[in-house]
Amino acid sequence: MVEERLDATFAALADPTRRGMLAQLSAGERSIGALAEPYRMSFAGAAKHVAVLERAGLIERRKAGRQQLCRLRAAPLAEAEAWLRQWQRFWGESLDRLEALIAEEKERTR
Amino acid sequence: MTQPIAAGRTVTLTRHFAATPERLFDAWLDPSDVRRFLFATPGGEMVTVEIDPHVGGDALIVERRGDEEALHRLHYEMIERPRRLVFLFNACVAGGPVADEWTRVTVDIAPEGDGARLTLIHEGVWSDFEDKTREGWTMILASLADL
Repeated sequence: MVEERLDATFAALADPTRRGMLAQLSAGERSIGALAEPYRMSFAGAAKHVAVLERAGLIERRKAGRQQLCRLRAAPLAEAEAWLRQWQRFWGESLDRLEALIAEEKERTR
Repeated sequence: MTQPIAAGRTVTLTRHFAATPERLFDAWLDPSDVRRFLFATPGGEMVTVEIDPHVGGDALIVERRGDEEALHRLHYEMIERPRRLVFLFNACVAGGPVADEWTRVTVDIAPEGDGARLTLIHEGVWSDFEDKTREGWTMILASLADL
């Protein structure tokens, strides 16, 4: 199951057009029309690529009036990064104080 | 200690200290040093520092932060003065949900110049993201930035 999903992901990423679309989406939400623009491709052609990306779970889309807007599903990444940063800060603060403690000691024994 | 280490990413920090490796190492097991630097936060009050500095020994470090007590539990796996200290680590808030996820911390110390370099490696911090699939996602998304 997991492997199947990863296969879909790698298949989705294997295509340079789709990678380009993901790069566009990393800057924010885009309509399918806007995603098609740099490639001089039809709406239908772009929609096919979007469908592949969606099946792979890399993007999601929503209706906004007559348009369909796509966006990157980056939430897991953002959360993970925040979590790691929090730990980095946690240990960094302890090391800061250890540094201060040793500096103080040096000062005293001087 | 049979709890498996949560699968996940690793946090690594490296820093140079103007101290001998021995001095630096001892700070991690000496209660009077630990009280001052390890897990201490501004405005917090260290209420418990109990250390049994032996392989298989435990430590409990509790800091009061306002209405909360932050508990840090350590279980020493390797104590090789002055080169390496390895302990299992678990942090939670007293009375809060019990965190049964143990992570592993390795403190590596090597002479460097006229001081010492300390490398801290914290494994398994990604307890919220043990789902391998998600890990796959984030890796893939992160690598997109390089395309």
